[in-house]
Amino acid sequence: MDEIKGKGFYLGDDIDTDQILPGYAMSYPPEDLKKVALKGSEITDFAEKVEDGDIIFAKDNFGCGSSREQAPLALKSTGIGAVVAKSFARIFRKNAINIGLPVITSKDLDKIIKESEENDKFKLNIKEGLIINIRTKKEYLAEKLADTTYETLEAGGLINKVRKILINRGEINE
Amino acid sequence: MVKINVIEKIIARHADKKSVEVGDELSVNVDLAIAHDVTGPLAIEQFKKIGVGKVFDSEKVVFVSDHNIPCSSVNSRVQHKSLEDFSKDFNVKYYGRSEGVIHQLIMEENLYKKGDIIVGADSHTCTAGAFGAVAIGVGSTELAAVMALGKIDIEVPPVKVIKIEGNLNDNVYGKDIILHIIGKFGTNGFTDTGVVLTGESIINLSQDDKMTISNMMIEMGAMIGYIDQGGEIGEVEENYIIKAEDIVPCVACPPSPGNVKPITEVEGTAINQAVLGSCTNGRYSDMATAAEVIKGKKIAEGVNFIVVPSSKRVAEKMDETGITKIFRDAGAIVTNPGCGPCFGAHQGLLNYDDVAVSSTNRNFPGRMGHKEAKIYLASPRIVAESAVLGKLSSPGKVI
Repeated sequence: MDEIKGKGFYLGDDIDTDQILPGYAMSYPPEDLKKVALKGSEITDFAEKVEDGDIIFAKDNFGCGSSREQAPLALKSTGIGAVVAKSFARIFRKNAINIGLPVITSKDLDKIIKESEENDKFKLNIKEGLIINIRTKKEYLAEKLADTTYETLEAGGLINKVRKILINRGEINE
Repeated sequence: MVKINVIEKIIARHADKKSVEVGDELSVNVDLAIAHDVTGPLAIEQFKKIGVGKVFDSEKVVFVSDHNIPCSSVNSRVQHKSLEDFSKDFNVKYYGRSEGVIHQLIMEENLYKKGDIIVGADSHTCTAGAFGAVAIGVGSTELAAVMALGKIDIEVPPVKVIKIEGNLNDNVYGKDIILHIIGKFGTNGFTDTGVVLTGESIINLSQDDKMTISNMMIEMGAMIGYIDQGGEIGEVEENYIIKAEDIVPCVACPPSPGNVKPITEVEGTAINQAVLGSCTNGRYSDMATAAEVIKGKKIAEGVNFIVVPSSKRVAEKMDETGITKIFRDAGAIVTNPGCGPCFGAHQGLLNYDDVAVSSTNRNFPGRMGHKEAKIYLASPRIVAESAVLGKLSSPGKVI
């Protein structure tokens, strides 16, 4: 999980959950979410272009709007490694971490987008908070995750964390 | 001097502590956990993965089908069935007969209580802040954790107060107040923050207007929205003052709830759909305000006017007082109670060249259909006046 490698996709401010996953698709079964990921955004063909490990770079307030967890689920099911943004809306950020999708903030976002080209590949080290554009070799800083957030991601999401609590209490079996 | 503020006090009590500091990570007891037909099924799926045999308190978990009701697709029927089955198996309350939009219905059932902590798998759970509850919107997995543990892990947020000073202008409704505030602070103005709204004119507003205001606090990214219940607020991080006289009838223009302009600046923009409803503005008082405008008039040629009562009780009262007939006689489509077209799945979606005025809460691209469609958010008064004239219109143009 610590080292993520893939090409970058670039988006602007206020990418709300309707753009990430349209309202009508909230009833889709999980296996169908992938094909509508980011359908409402500028990158309408995201689902066809995305490959495992790819990274979405966005500006302020990524994931604002509704609480639909299908939005981060759709992104996760495309195989992306992480979303890096200047800032995230609260519920989206929590949802992503809770399902084990890394979401990282970076103050260097404007620079990253300005200094990158389509199909540039990046390396992202979550633990160290480091982003490298492989073509330009330029380095950028990402903010490190809080310990509790990191723990949830490492556990593979919130459900595993809750299971641990209940196992310790003897309320459920391993 | 009270050092602890009103939101901290509620959080502290639910964590069995006397005091708390901003940034403290706490596990707090939850008084009510709610979800609807598009977030509940995923929460149930996650809950089952935990493997616990019961919910923390079967009286404190409530499901409501409001988004796709009646079912808009086979997939949505699968979601309703999941709620039906779970509510039977785990003995929790389920409303599945178009009783209303979750936040309106839960209010009518007297489950939004002052001083409670409410967790809802819906971003507009903050509506309960109108009643002095600390209400937090979450996703499905977080709700599943609450269903199992009866607790949620939160950090104590910084609390900021917005005070409205002076008397409100004529034709200014709760919707204009909250749109004005969102326009001023932006769609991420209060991310991860508790927001308290106060001032004489706010405390004296009707309960319906307070609900409209707290409902849209999430559009500024707030973690918690809270309306002053007339008590002590306590020490907070920052205070903002807004003069009531500066608030005028306004609209949020495309493409975001933060793009707010006085209605006078966009007056005359042609529309072909008007929507009255939602957890923001689908209450009886909203219907009565609109009916006063529409009574004896006709909806403009080429405009679809869709009216969605926010609950069965609202619809029944509209029937009793003749409001339903006023709308239908004018040419409106009055639907069953629910979320209606607000979230873009059914009951009135827009094509690329459509322009709508709507009393709902979001106008991001694609919110109600095609991503090029334009949505203007406004008060029920402006929606009704615009529906009659076929263009965005200030209060007072029709009546």
